[in-house]
Amino acid sequence: MPAIPVDMVIPIYTGGASARVDADVAPKFKAGDGVVARNLNPSGHTRLPRYLRGKSGTIEKDHGVFGLPDTMAHGGGETPQHVYCVRFSAREVWGASASPRDSYYVDMWDDYLDPA
Amino acid sequence: MADHDHTEPPSDTALRVKALESLLLEKGLVEADTLDALIQLYEHNIGPQNGAKVVARAWSDPDYKARLLADATPAIAELGFGGVQGEDMVVVENTSEVHNLLVCTLCSCYPWPVLGLPPVWYKAAPYRARAVSEPRAVLKEFGVEIRDDVEVRVWDSTAELRYMVLPERPAGTEGLGEDELAALVTRDSMIGVALVEGA
Amino acid sequence: MNGIHDLGGMHGLGPVNPESDEPVFHAEWERRMFAVLMATFASGIYNVDEFRHAIENMAPAEYLATSYYEHWLHSLEQVMIDKGQFNRSELEAAWSNVTAGEAA
Repeated sequence: MPAIPVDMVIPIYTGGASARVDADVAPKFKAGDGVVARNLNPSGHTRLPRYLRGKSGTIEKDHGVFGLPDTMAHGGGETPQHVYCVRFSAREVWGASASPRDSYYVDMWDDYLDPA
Repeated sequence: MADHDHTEPPSDTALRVKALESLLLEKGLVEADTLDALIQLYEHNIGPQNGAKVVARAWSDPDYKARLLADATPAIAELGFGGVQGEDMVVVENTSEVHNLLVCTLCSCYPWPVLGLPPVWYKAAPYRARAVSEPRAVLKEFGVEIRDDVEVRVWDSTAELRYMVLPERPAGTEGLGEDELAALVTRDSMIGVALVEGA
Repeated sequence: MNGIHDLGGMHGLGPVNPESDEPVFHAEWERRMFAVLMATFASGIYNVDEFRHAIENMAPAEYLATSYYEHWLHSLEQVMIDKGQFNRSELEAAWSNVTAGEAA
């Protein structure tokens, strides 16, 4: 891969490159569905934080199809799938002493979620 | 014959970076003027003044605000902003009922095209740990107190969507033009750790 | 991985401590580190997930004790070696050269 020449700096960096993948993959979930974040503990890369594993939430939005970091970090290809915004209540995440009103909105891949 | 253990890097980080840069240049992996152009772009051109213009436009034009909240990336592009770490944007609105706070607990994900590069505190361990476990305490440290009847929503940027907060327009700004409004909007208000103060 | 980077909810890390009027870069080396990372990343030599994972693999105590751009430095050295762009010996030779240059 050649070095980036100076005249490409503005086009590349102000243009960017979306992480979206153009793959015809069916979503597993839709807005309003109840889901549970899986208890995954891979020794490799993942974007499922520990504080949310096993927690129940609701699909807020389907963002579309993206590659899966868990495979992309290890030369395992894109494994394209849907990414959702998932809402979790504060008490679900942190227990009874947490705010009864506050919430968490976290983006999660299909492979991170089970139906509730 | 010396038994070479793993050689340690220079303890001076500046020397270690200089070594890496020299090696990359020598291997033809980077070009010197490209490096200088990147620094110029991100140190002097891209910054929160971009996001402030987006906020000011949204406050001034209800149709723009609706477009921004429905599909932020093209709306932000209308003002000429976009690019790396902002290819898929979501803008979330603060209201009298909801206060939004942004964090990336796992690393430092941040909407560069509208806010520039993130401050050290955003990328460091205390904020990343506590913005999720005690958001109201963190807000208080920043001098922001959110009433109990307002919902605090914490957005943890785990994927490649990048978020920006549309702060509430302060009272008493009805007569101001977009440039004057933009001048009120701070970077911290677009992360959610500050409110926008009136003129 | 259940690494040190996965910080959500950890206790004991202290106050957030924002710096007022913080500059974009705190030292010249940070500028250079930012630039070499950005330039190599856009070349497609590695992807962002590989880059992040190399940071996650830092020794936990070192991760917490070092700054953001030091994390980038650690990762870029490792990822370049992993991708065969140079090897450890070449990197060590570069270290010797800069150190000798300083001493001269």
